[in-house]
Amino acid sequence: MSKRIQSYSIERQKARWGWIFVAPTLIFFSLFSFYPIFNAFYASLFRKKLLSLKPPDFIGFNNYSYLLKSPDFWNSIRATVVFTLGTFIPLLIFSLIFAIFIMSRKRFQNFFQMAYYSPAVLSSVVAAVIWLLIFDPRGLANQWVNFALNTPGIDHKWLASSVMVQISAMMVYFWKYVGYFTIIFIVGLASIPQSIYEASKIDGANDWKNFWYITLPLLKPTTILVSIMSMLQCLKTFSTQYLFTQGGAPLAPINVITLNIYHTAIRDHRIGRASAMSIILFIIMLFFTWLQFKFSRTDEVSY
Amino acid sequence: MKKLFVVFLFVIFVSITVNAATDIEITFWTHEDPNRTEIENRYIAEFEQANPGVTIKRVTSGSGQIQELILTAFAANQGPDIFNMSIEDEYAYIVNERLAPVDFEAAGYPSLQAIYDAYIPGVLDPVTYKGQLYGLPLELTNWCIYINKKIFRDVGLDPEKDYPKTWEEMMEVSDKIAIREGEILKRRGFDFRYPYYLVSWVPMVEQLGGKLISDDGKTAIINEEAWLKVLDYMREWGPNGRNLGSPTYTNARKLFNKDNNDVAMCLTGLYQQGRIRADNPEFYESGEWMVVPFPVFENAVKDVPAAYYGHYYMVNGQKPKENQQIAWKFIAFMLSHPEEYLTKVNIVQPTVKLMESATFKSMPYSEVFKNDMAKGHIVYYGESSAKIQSLIREAVESVMLAGVSPEDALKTLKRKVQEVLEEG
Amino acid sequence: MDHKLERKKIKTSYQSLVIDIFIWVFLIFAALFILAPTIFMFTASLMPASDVVKMPYRWIPGGFYWQNYWQGIRGNDGSFIYIRNILNSLIVATVVSVSTVFLSALAGFGLAKYYFKGRALVFMMIMGTMMIPFEAIMIPLYLVTTKLGLQDSYAGLIAPFLVNAFGVFLMRQYFITFPDEILDAARIDGASELMIFKTIILPNSVPAIATLAILTFKAQWDNLLWPLLVVQSEEMKTIPLYIVKFMAEKHTDEGAMMAVAAIASIPILIVFFRLSKYFLGGAALYSSRKG
Repeated sequence: MSKRIQSYSIERQKARWGWIFVAPTLIFFSLFSFYPIFNAFYASLFRKKLLSLKPPDFIGFNNYSYLLKSPDFWNSIRATVVFTLGTFIPLLIFSLIFAIFIMSRKRFQNFFQMAYYSPAVLSSVVAAVIWLLIFDPRGLANQWVNFALNTPGIDHKWLASSVMVQISAMMVYFWKYVGYFTIIFIVGLASIPQSIYEASKIDGANDWKNFWYITLPLLKPTTILVSIMSMLQCLKTFSTQYLFTQGGAPLAPINVITLNIYHTAIRDHRIGRASAMSIILFIIMLFFTWLQFKFSRTDEVSY
Repeated sequence: MKKLFVVFLFVIFVSITVNAATDIEITFWTHEDPNRTEIENRYIAEFEQANPGVTIKRVTSGSGQIQELILTAFAANQGPDIFNMSIEDEYAYIVNERLAPVDFEAAGYPSLQAIYDAYIPGVLDPVTYKGQLYGLPLELTNWCIYINKKIFRDVGLDPEKDYPKTWEEMMEVSDKIAIREGEILKRRGFDFRYPYYLVSWVPMVEQLGGKLISDDGKTAIINEEAWLKVLDYMREWGPNGRNLGSPTYTNARKLFNKDNNDVAMCLTGLYQQGRIRADNPEFYESGEWMVVPFPVFENAVKDVPAAYYGHYYMVNGQKPKENQQIAWKFIAFMLSHPEEYLTKVNIVQPTVKLMESATFKSMPYSEVFKNDMAKGHIVYYGESSAKIQSLIREAVESVMLAGVSPEDALKTLKRKVQEVLEEG
Repeated sequence: MDHKLERKKIKTSYQSLVIDIFIWVFLIFAALFILAPTIFMFTASLMPASDVVKMPYRWIPGGFYWQNYWQGIRGNDGSFIYIRNILNSLIVATVVSVSTVFLSALAGFGLAKYYFKGRALVFMMIMGTMMIPFEAIMIPLYLVTTKLGLQDSYAGLIAPFLVNAFGVFLMRQYFITFPDEILDAARIDGASELMIFKTIILPNSVPAIATLAILTFKAQWDNLLWPLLVVQSEEMKTIPLYIVKFMAEKHTDEGAMMAVAAIASIPILIVFFRLSKYFLGGAALYSSRKG
């Protein structure tokens, strides 16, 4: 009896310590994340101009229904989806290829890892400044492509044509993050016990079979992690598109949701509508994360 | 770890206490301009000496960021005492009643009318609202065409005689000057100031009888024919037409100063002269550049030059009365040096006295700017002018770069601007 | 039998040589593509502006145009404020890294090793903050910060980033695999929970801490939008703000711009090369969830 009480109180004490450890973080998030997001949701129910001192009009979900009817907002959804798919799929594929190729080398592993990772440490502002010069009609991008394809004098309109400007934005992002995800894959690969391969060697499997039947399935958790992280990154993209439009690129093709939120709030002063847009983005991101977690939950990998 | 945490707390503590205020502190946010910073810091020192107990804290930001900075601060009711932006951005502060009207006594004028009399007619209209005056101009600028004479002669043109007077000539001359490698322009004749459509592009539409918004303020895009013609002109200009320029090249105004055989003409204000002098004194002294008026279309129905735009100093209406008075007093003190602003910073404060002064008249080509300004009008300003400008930009660039037909682009533009007008 | 095997061996070694060469070429080309923009930045920073955007681009500068660096450090107004701004970036990034590591470790430990009612919910809520777009909360966040009187100060730059969901997630994943027996043994020896955290948990999580610290440092080094809003005075600006402002100034040309970008990148690149084992090995922790 007394033993039960004791263990009960130990459990209670441990629970208390759990709360104590979590408390500072929780307080922090309440102030700097939960409160602002509730505030944004509340604001999304009003017709409010940023500078106005008059009490805002409560309009219920009108901001949301306006957005769902607005071609401009749907264009932003399109731009975001195109950018996310166009960036995150190549990121996933190439970082996996890079990781496998690097791991297959006996020498220069570190050199390649560092080379691929290095853009990730440059700040986005620096990256945008460099790439804007490269994409200048007289810049390196045209020079390289024209050299490679032997087509002197063609302007590929990197920042001008509506298709190219989307590709250019994807390229900058790809360049910046491919090393990051390569390294995550490398770690995933390194954590696969060598004994499994040895076992399969005895069974007479070749490299390709090894990759297809052993490496890939075992990499699944890493792949899911990489895809969630890169997808969230892509959905939240802002600075590349922002600095591109500042550099003269047309807005519509790369008017991703975050950029639209920013313009609606800062340029048009419509804070209610901007908040509604950010809540929608929040929900989209939650949904995709939930989806991916659900997939990852179903097959836990065991060695 | 523990030590670091203590250090961290200490940093927070120190930075909070540092923020504590002294007597009266006037905060003054403005965009970065090294020449102006130099003279205004001197004015601040003089003013603080003459008014003990007053400190003026002047902070600068890049001109691209100042708008969002001030907006966020005002949205949180934490705006600075004094600020300036271009009028299209400032107008929303006026109609939302966020400002303190000019205190003419504090500013040292006998009456409000005396202020209006001191400035050339019309320039205070944009900051007059419901009978009150809400700002004093820091600068008023209009743009004309700068020409590099050497490049003109290089292609066998006489700059004094052959400079483009119409937009049609502009196209011909630019085509003659352009040097390309394939499709890539290595030398351009003229190129536009792309993001600034309200200032320099809408006037082209007006030359042909078009209008952005009807006089009653209810209908957008008047006289579609005129709009279509100018949109078509831009299509001709761009890479899908005669390939004379595009928004993605380095802006012409910046390259012009270098005199590096990159660009022969650019559209900019009187202030450019100061920058040429600073960037490339040799070129400035050489006399190899000149300024000509804004061109008009051959069959123009109206002679409309580029619109002028302005920055106005304004005062935050949420600050205590005392701060507002000192703020206006200080602004008036700064603005009592228009000639120094003109000679050191190359910006024009449009007082009657300055425009008639020998200093202004002795500036090279100031006559060209003055004439164009007299014919022109102020840029379109309204609560949504920034949004409208970006809609125009979208339309023009879709025609120039994405191959959208002028008709379709105009239809979209009209619908969107109309929506903005109706939403208010 | 030997003969057959031999033939097969030769065939595979020939095949694998082709594959081998292909992989080398592929890796080297990719490395060139990825490194080129950075190299471009450094070479362009040593050129007069007229050479930066030029056809064809000369990768080796004709001469060393050190003026760009002088102009970048000195600033267009001669105030040398960039040095102070670099210092600010260092201070902010360091403090944020330390606090993120500390608070994430605490919370991660609490979530991994203590059972309490609502733990799953707390974890979900913390993870949920990862999905909040910054633009969404920018203005309310600004309100909170100004209400606390933190604008234009280090505290204002630091406060919203004291801890982040990713850090908590990372530390929790790391601690989950930590054997309970060791903790229980310490408890039996009479160690308090705080003692356990301090003497057992922290010393045993150096790799995780290093990784998190470096990643946080890097993210802060990069931060643009928040400092843009919260800081006004020149003395409080950080590197990205300086770059954006410098770019907008009238006397700035492409060469000087690249020099400023290079100056901003050199410290972080040095840190990166010196600590590359944490950068490279550190990513390990993301996938340590395999358990």
